[in-house]
Amino acid sequence: MKKRFSLDHLALLVLLAVLCVLPFTVTGYVLYVVNLLMVFVVLALGMHVVIGEAGQFALSHTAFYGIGIYTAGLINTAWHPPFVVSILAGGLLSAVLGYVIGFLALRMRDIYLALATFAFGEAMQWVFLNWESVTNGSNGMRMQPAQLFGLTLTNDLQAYPFVIAIAALMLWVTVWLSRSQFGSALRAVRESDVAAMAMGINARAMKQAAFVISAAFAGIAGGMYTLFISFIHPESLGFQTTILILTMVVVGGIGSVRGAVAGAIAFGIISELLRQALSIQEILYGAILLGFMMFKPRGLFAGSKKRAAKAPATHARQGSAA
Amino acid sequence: MNTFIKTTLAAVAAATALAAAAQSEPGLTDKSIRIGMFSPLSGNSMAYGFDVVNAAKMYYDKVNKEGGIHGRKIDIVLEDDRCNANDLLAAVKKLTEQDKVFLLNGGSCSGPVVGAREYVEREKIPLVMLNASGDGALYPPSKYIYGAFSISQRAVGGSMVQFAAEHLKAKKIGYLNHDDAYGGWNLEAAEFQAKKVGATLQVQSINPNITDVTAPMLKIRAANPDVLLVTTYARPVSLLVKKAHELGWNKPIVIAVNGTADLKQLVENVGNKDAFKNVYLQEVMLDVPGGEQLKWVYDMYKQYYPDLAAKPGYPQTYMPYGIPSAMAVVNALKAAGPQPTREKFLDAMSKLNFDSKVMAGPIAFTPTDHAAQKAAIYLKFDGENKNRVPGSYASAWTYQPK
Amino acid sequence: MSFDEIWLFLQQGLLSGLVTGSVYALLALAIVAVFKTTDVPNFAQGEMLMMAGYVALSLLLLAHLPYAAVIPLTLAVMALGGALFQRVVMERVTGSRGVGVQLVIATLGLAYVLKGLVRQTGLGDTPRSLPSLFSSDTVLIGDAALTQLDIAIFVVAVVVMVLIYLMFTYTRIGKAMRAVGMNPRAAQIVGIRLSRIRMMVWALAGLISAIAALLITPKVLVTPDIAHIAILAYAAAIVGGFTSLPGAVVGGLLIGVVENMVGLFISTNAIVVAPFLAILVTLIVRPQGLLGGKVQVKKV
Repeated sequence: MKKRFSLDHLALLVLLAVLCVLPFTVTGYVLYVVNLLMVFVVLALGMHVVIGEAGQFALSHTAFYGIGIYTAGLINTAWHPPFVVSILAGGLLSAVLGYVIGFLALRMRDIYLALATFAFGEAMQWVFLNWESVTNGSNGMRMQPAQLFGLTLTNDLQAYPFVIAIAALMLWVTVWLSRSQFGSALRAVRESDVAAMAMGINARAMKQAAFVISAAFAGIAGGMYTLFISFIHPESLGFQTTILILTMVVVGGIGSVRGAVAGAIAFGIISELLRQALSIQEILYGAILLGFMMFKPRGLFAGSKKRAAKAPATHARQGSAA
Repeated sequence: MNTFIKTTLAAVAAATALAAAAQSEPGLTDKSIRIGMFSPLSGNSMAYGFDVVNAAKMYYDKVNKEGGIHGRKIDIVLEDDRCNANDLLAAVKKLTEQDKVFLLNGGSCSGPVVGAREYVEREKIPLVMLNASGDGALYPPSKYIYGAFSISQRAVGGSMVQFAAEHLKAKKIGYLNHDDAYGGWNLEAAEFQAKKVGATLQVQSINPNITDVTAPMLKIRAANPDVLLVTTYARPVSLLVKKAHELGWNKPIVIAVNGTADLKQLVENVGNKDAFKNVYLQEVMLDVPGGEQLKWVYDMYKQYYPDLAAKPGYPQTYMPYGIPSAMAVVNALKAAGPQPTREKFLDAMSKLNFDSKVMAGPIAFTPTDHAAQKAAIYLKFDGENKNRVPGSYASAWTYQPK
Repeated sequence: MSFDEIWLFLQQGLLSGLVTGSVYALLALAIVAVFKTTDVPNFAQGEMLMMAGYVALSLLLLAHLPYAAVIPLTLAVMALGGALFQRVVMERVTGSRGVGVQLVIATLGLAYVLKGLVRQTGLGDTPRSLPSLFSSDTVLIGDAALTQLDIAIFVVAVVVMVLIYLMFTYTRIGKAMRAVGMNPRAAQIVGIRLSRIRMMVWALAGLISAIAALLITPKVLVTPDIAHIAILAYAAAIVGGFTSLPGAVVGGLLIGVVENMVGLFISTNAIVVAPFLAILVTLIVRPQGLLGGKVQVKKV
């Protein structure tokens, strides 16, 4: 398949150019906001995989984000390994826990899955707040600067190129997954469990895999966060954050990678710009959510139904060939 | 022509170098010094910071009117930290990196302000707290951080136990604190003091968001202490006083300064004057709020904020706490000389010792103790009037490096 | 702990638990009623409860109305608000081909807007109280102490629940709501106006929010955080059976008692996490809850 130079590629190039120029023209604070946006992007991509691709309404995302943050932070404080190790560890632990939770929760459908994952997310926040010996509880946890072979990251500017790199990598992984057979299978399961199973797809295994992948993404986003943050408090690791990410994905467009990225950047910027005007922020979010659900429920970049319709047929042909 | 270009270039280079040298300290120009302030200005914790900032600002304004500090006027940038760690960190980042302030003077909420410690140390910027206790950032002491201008939480706990034992003659002391770091700080010194005076503590630690206090109050009643000490924030205080009355428990209740943010609302929320037959309040200023010795602060507030002063509920209870913090900053800046640097400022801070004429005790720092104020007085409160109990009750706890 | 203490805690936990549980039960009823009739879990239930409290507070403090007028006005405003939300927003969402997840997100949008509005007024900055119609004089039942207010809360909640039960079982509207919940298309064929019935059930949810707020806030103070009470209502609905109205009531009372018992016998800290554990355990072990029917498998 030839890679056409599409609008997407152009957008990415422009974005890359801007990101390269920024460090020379703006303050560390703006770079902090950009770093934060990159974390949001990875979180949104993770949620895209489980909700957009696999159609599973899982509300436990922030729990895995928190696990990623604490794991990376603790490993860094204890052993000071190259930060890639801490981040991967966070992603791995989240993935493992995601597997367990997925195993229990994916037996349930729709609303029950949502409620169970919601309860798990809240219970996890309680653990972060009360497991003092590990997380330091409601005092919050101090993060030491991340290391990479002698290079120490003490501020946003120094963390910047790495944060961007990781986000780019995760984006590439998402697109690759989406375009692969795995992605087609996920979307088939999203459209119809029964039909997918009729084509030989193990629906249960697919959903489980999607859950694990999204947990891993959230864990890695947590690890990214520790690169430029000096302190974490469990207050921000609750349902509110999950809702924020959900908003990004839904308004961006369920099923669309572009949508997830655009939603993450848009809402991330709004939340930072309006940090000092919380009531306006809340009313604005609410209005945006209501407006979109009322008039454009599929979001800005409505997911491609075309791809979903095509995929099962292709898969069937390949399946029968195997 | 060549000479002209060379001379111009040399002059420009010299000027740039000079400018760079003069402005090597961020936030400092010949005529101004920029201070970054942050505090809860909105939301349900605004009573802890809104008017405190106003008090500090009016003090800085007075200093500016008198000519500033070594010819520099104080220029303030203000952020709302909403009393939570994440917003506070974002505020501190913005002030330090975007607004490029010389020093930070902010923080009314202990838990959140402690979260800024790592950042402040990495950026090497001075942080002088407003009215936060902030024990977690003061013990072990950090070169860059000063606080507890209201009172340290350790001193709160120790002083309360001393008052209970000495004035109320209690042997068995009920103790209600929060189950977070903040609660842990005051409990640590309370336990230390209890051991010293030979009393026992019956502790119930509650979540700051608790809505039903039946369980902890029942347990307290079952333990039957002589006195109940409450070191929670304002909202649980209302619930606790109410529930104690409902359960028929009428022994003395002493409320720490943490919970006295809005006494009028407290009385209203409890809804029953009888509940206040045996209630005492801890106070960390040198007089009753609104009393004779504090008149100058309230007069100054009325002069600077006539519209606010006319509104009911203003000035807010903690308003005067902004004064000692601002005083400390100004005194240290003056001592740092006409070419201040952050290092000189911090050095001056570590030697401060003065009477703020607001707080019950002196504002005193040593190189190993950056907690400013440690004394408290007590008032008997019947729901309307406050009567001073004579004496000052000190906490015996001191920091022991591990 | 001595036997006397244990016995005291058991009595107190049970009675206090029934009081708060009756309010959870009311809210759980609202959640289940909306879910059964419209298939949407209302994620704004907590904010609706909070809004009701602040509507009452505004009428009292800003409009200076007497409390006797505030009560019916609050009920009316909340009922109307609920109905309007369904008619204006939710119908539009379904009209734009939005399905399950989009409807839930619309309720999240509502939650945000309500939160922001209350924050904008600044009334939430200090905890405030609504006047109590009943005294806080203590009444002793066995060894346990309840106030007259507590007893009133329980009685009123139970009366309201009975009325709702009667409505659902015997009135035309109630039966229509159940019909719409079971099979909307069939209900439509029989002549039931879906739009009207859905509006009515949302009005009911608003009404219940107002009743619950007026009952509980003299006890716990009006703060923006009372929205968290809805989480306990959700736990109640799940434990009782998410599709069962009687289940909601049983669940509510049970959760109230368990919450108090956990606080008395374990620690006040554990109270916060107990409802989430209850939800997880129920969904893993017996997803249909205590009284729910078989778990319905959605038609593909």
